[in-house]
Amino acid sequence: MGFVAESALGGAWRLRSLGVVQSIDTDLPEDEEGAPIGCGRMPRESLELAAIARADCSIEVDERTSTHLVICKPCLEAVGQLAREHALLTELASAARPEPAAQGARSEGASLSAEEIPGYRLSREIHRGGQGAVYLAEQLATRRTCAVKMLLGGRFATPVQRTRFEREVEVVAGLRHPGIVTLYESGLTRKGEPWFAMEFVEGERLDEFVRRVGADQRAIAELMRRVADTVAYAHRRGVIHRDLKPGNILVDQDGATRILDFGLARSSTGAEAADPRSSSTLAGEFVGTFAYAAPEQLAGDPSLVDSRCDLYALGVLFFELLAGQRPFEGAKSIAELVAQKTTGATLRPSAPAAARGRAVDSDLDVIVLRLLAPDPARRYATAAALAEDLGRYLDGRPILAREDSLAYVVTKTVRRHWLASGAAAVFLLTVVGASVALAVALARAEREQERVRRAYSAFGAALASANPEEGEGSSAMNVRDFLELVEKEVRTELSDEPEVLAEMLKTLGVIQLAFDDPERSRGPILSAHDYFSHAYGSGRIGPDSMAESEFALARQLFLERDLSGSEEAYRRAIGLRELAFGPTAVETVDLERQLATVLRRQGRIAEARALLDEALVHADGFSSTKEAARVRAGILNGQAVLAAETGDHRRAIESFRIILSELREIVPGNDFRRGRTLSSLAQSEAALGMLDSAERHAEEAVAILTERKGAGAQWTREATEILAKIRAARAAAAPR
Amino acid sequence: MVSMDLDRTTTALLAALHDSSNAAAWESFDRRYRPVLIGFARSCGLSDHDAAELAQSSIVRFIEQYRDGKYDRDRGRLGAWLVTIAKYRLLDMRRKKASMPVAQGESAIVNLDDDRSVGDAYDTQRRLAILREALQELSEKTKTDPKTIRAFELLYYHGMSAQAVAADLGMQPQEVYLAKSRVAARIREIVSRIEREFEEAPGEWDSSPSRPSAALGG
Repeated sequence: MGFVAESALGGAWRLRSLGVVQSIDTDLPEDEEGAPIGCGRMPRESLELAAIARADCSIEVDERTSTHLVICKPCLEAVGQLAREHALLTELASAARPEPAAQGARSEGASLSAEEIPGYRLSREIHRGGQGAVYLAEQLATRRTCAVKMLLGGRFATPVQRTRFEREVEVVAGLRHPGIVTLYESGLTRKGEPWFAMEFVEGERLDEFVRRVGADQRAIAELMRRVADTVAYAHRRGVIHRDLKPGNILVDQDGATRILDFGLARSSTGAEAADPRSSSTLAGEFVGTFAYAAPEQLAGDPSLVDSRCDLYALGVLFFELLAGQRPFEGAKSIAELVAQKTTGATLRPSAPAAARGRAVDSDLDVIVLRLLAPDPARRYATAAALAEDLGRYLDGRPILAREDSLAYVVTKTVRRHWLASGAAAVFLLTVVGASVALAVALARAEREQERVRRAYSAFGAALASANPEEGEGSSAMNVRDFLELVEKEVRTELSDEPEVLAEMLKTLGVIQLAFDDPERSRGPILSAHDYFSHAYGSGRIGPDSMAESEFALARQLFLERDLSGSEEAYRRAIGLRELAFGPTAVETVDLERQLATVLRRQGRIAEARALLDEALVHADGFSSTKEAARVRAGILNGQAVLAAETGDHRRAIESFRIILSELREIVPGNDFRRGRTLSSLAQSEAALGMLDSAERHAEEAVAILTERKGAGAQWTREATEILAKIRAARAAAAPR
Repeated sequence: MVSMDLDRTTTALLAALHDSSNAAAWESFDRRYRPVLIGFARSCGLSDHDAAELAQSSIVRFIEQYRDGKYDRDRGRLGAWLVTIAKYRLLDMRRKKASMPVAQGESAIVNLDDDRSVGDAYDTQRRLAILREALQELSEKTKTDPKTIRAFELLYYHGMSAQAVAADLGMQPQEVYLAKSRVAARIREIVSRIEREFEEAPGEWDSSPSRPSAALGG
């Protein structure tokens, strides 16, 4: 996969420099003679499909085609041409749909009689748009007034589609929330066109309301908080709106926000797949829908689209309400709009707002940009989190929206998207450019600096706390006491910067761990792990950071002798590192080696041995770095310890000697690994009666471990015990 | 490629309109703009009947103003002028009826206070009218093989796959694709000619909608 990502990126660079990206918007000569289009090696059918996929999210492009398109200029151009062709013909087909008004007296509204929608009496048409018409109606059974919406041209071709439509409507109709315009029921007309009966709400579009009353930023934030609450309710029930826009959010006479058409976009997608005529490609509507669509909705792979597309739409809406214009106003074409969306918003709502004489707080800037992140993983994880942050803003508390780390943005965003899917890769090819990545990186770097500054200032405060005159310092204080003091200080100083705090706690915990002091490391490591788990679950940190935290936890539990807990944490850490670095990377193999130790301690010798054997195979493929050599020595050590434990001391001694000679090359003479190996060697030598060299090696081990880890550390105690036994054995064996 | 049929261009049309006895010119004008106005009125939420009425009264008003010499080409596009007339007639109509229902949420709903929204709605309708005219021309006036047009219809009206269309028409799938591309090429040609005749901004589907808003008074 790594290769695909790299070659895809390389392809983008190359193609961009060749000007292919621009050529998407220019016309190519037609192939009147029917000559093969593209490079001639790709089936026409695949290219046609890839072209349609650009407009229709439900079409999937096979991996072979998408990979090919990344590297083949002629085929990419051909797909661009076919996509334009497809767009024109789809538009043509929808224009050809008989428009009663244009033809004269016959009215579609009049033709919709009560018998067509059983149980309802339609009184008059109240709105007509490209998607369909809305009628004011009376539900005969209840005599209540409602609105009936017809989706024009949205016919369901197959029973499967019909069933799916019915099932989806059932779910949507189950939504009961004061902020949602309730869907009563739905059905299909005799012609097979879907209709929906819903609550009739008299209200004003959200954007018009905001404009009319001249709402300020706080009022807008309050409206958005209510909308986010409502959206969160629907999301919790598994319903995504997919088409949030000002026209779908009304403010009723009581000033309450009411969201329309929840979940219907999906239903209508089903219909559209069956009937291309209904694709909303009429110029006006297309632009309208595009403005609020998340980049992943435009990418052509339905599997990428989840509830976070609604958060994106809310971001566009929020921006628009605050700034008086949409975030990507400058786009001159849909292609350009898509390009801008994918590379992310660099414009904050406060800038255009200022030009209109309106104030927008920087917190709201941050919230909006968070919502408009091109990568869904960088947005709020849920609408509830958005509502919570807006609540915090309104209460004057610090918001939780945090900016991304530089490295994450540059690596993860690009990687995720490139690997995402064929269609997405093709799509991104036209829009992801190096210059843009750099611009985003620089923008993030600015915000990153602010966080670094906060971390430094907290650390400075912690250092000051060790001052014996002003703080709690004393000459008796050792490093570990000091670290504990730092921990206390940063917990106070950074309470409003949870991510920075978690990072520092993890570091402090790992240092305490290295002193084999599980009591002192426990607090910071568990706190950091809690935070990271949450952050990872909501996509704020990557698998590499999460792996660090799991690793620390695994070591903590190992020292606490919770072997099964430690094993689980190691396995999670391995999975995460596989994700971040690959299954055969040094980082991953190193953890497998350590997991083998946990298994061995549990008496699962065969499993431990298999794991080490496999690790050694991977280690043979490592490049020759010091880190790789250390991991390799660690694997050999694991195997030697296993041999010793199973009584094969000869083999163990041989291995330990090899390890010691390898370690000499890569670590200092007093490295703890050397101490540990010497201690193991001494034990095996003693077992075979080689007491002289055993004593010498044990003495050296105790010296090294006492120096590096301290006299009380577990390994030091073990080595001391071994030395004592050897000495006792020698004394017993010595002639009296 | 470019039609030299000048009497169809708006400039020529406008000149001919000064001659009140030139019924053909007025008919031509009517044929071109009435559907656009009706579509615009419908997208503003009017019923069929009201939309037809609005189109009629707007055209009458246009004729009056035109004959009074109130339309100055330099001040903006014909479409911008027309849609301004239509907008004020629509506001009038609303005032008279007082209780026009509040539209239910749709992106296409037109906000009459927002010139851009009005302009977009008009452009959408103009584009629709052009496409319909192009489609008619394709089947009636070009020498396009009926089978080619049929292949396009089956693909795009009936949502059939290229394979199914090929089987249906006794063609190879490759030929179906070719037919589709031919229709697209013809249509593109016809559309761009009609666009020029409307003498307004070109309307490739993915270019920004041309906006008459500059010419619209508040």
